[in-house]
Amino acid sequence: MEIKTDEYRVWTEGSEIFFDGAMRLASSDAGASITALATNVLASHPASITLNLKDLHFLNSSGINLLAKFTIEVRKHPDVRLVVRGTPDIPWQSKSLPNLKKLHPAVVLLLD
Amino acid sequence: MTTLFGTPDIAIGIKESVSRVRLFDGPLDLSWRHCATTSDFIADVFALRFRSSRNDYMEVRHSIGYLVNELIENAVKFRAPGEILIEASMDSECFKLKVSNDVDGKIASGFQNLLADITAGDPVDLLIQRIELNAANPEVTGSGLGLLTLMSDYGARLAWIFSAADESDRICVETYASIPISQIHN
Repeated sequence: MEIKTDEYRVWTEGSEIFFDGAMRLASSDAGASITALATNVLASHPASITLNLKDLHFLNSSGINLLAKFTIEVRKHPDVRLVVRGTPDIPWQSKSLPNLKKLHPAVVLLLD
Repeated sequence: MTTLFGTPDIAIGIKESVSRVRLFDGPLDLSWRHCATTSDFIADVFALRFRSSRNDYMEVRHSIGYLVNELIENAVKFRAPGEILIEASMDSECFKLKVSNDVDGKIASGFQNLLADITAGDPVDLLIQRIELNAANPEVTGSGLGLLTLMSDYGARLAWIFSAADESDRICVETYASIPISQIHN
């Protein structure tokens, strides 16, 4: 499954969800298709889900809220491990991704 | 009548060497994509002086771009028809921004209620509380998460001044922001 616009692309490979580009959603509702994609992965009951953000150069606050809401959804499934992969080279990631761990301490945050 | 929210000492005129960008309604058909174009442009201009260090340049360019983008997005989203004025300046310690636009009276009072909530407490805690609240109440909109993210994750200090606009049913909103800019890597 893939969501593609001029600015960003989101797709899945198994239970890994990849994000690429610059995502500036007008509201968290504007990301409904992305939420649906992620929810589908969660509904398939994988042992672990990975959000791969290493190529997501920009994410506005509506997009960050979308990630936060999904993290809270995964929190309701203690048997599903959530891994968030990012890079310290992209400033929004090192600034804002640690908040996901505050929402769900079991999140595995890999900024490498 | 003038109403102020936030940190009073940054809500003063940006004095020296101000850069101004004015977004007009009209032929441009002011829209969402102009937020990105404008904020990227301002970030490019102000980060130039840090280009001798790649890390500083990336950090400063991103922080300025993120701040400007969030505040212009808010202006585009909530404004009454009319222009958006963006003023920016930078000294050795801070990047300062002022975004001015008109909003309808009803929008202004809703925004003031929100600001009363999100400026009363530690933004780091308030951000997490608001995210939880927002996730539990899907119908909640305008939750201030962008502003809290700026304060919590970017160390932004923010202030807002509401005053009577030229048109009687409107309020002029001035949003002031200041983020620390320091040379981290030499």
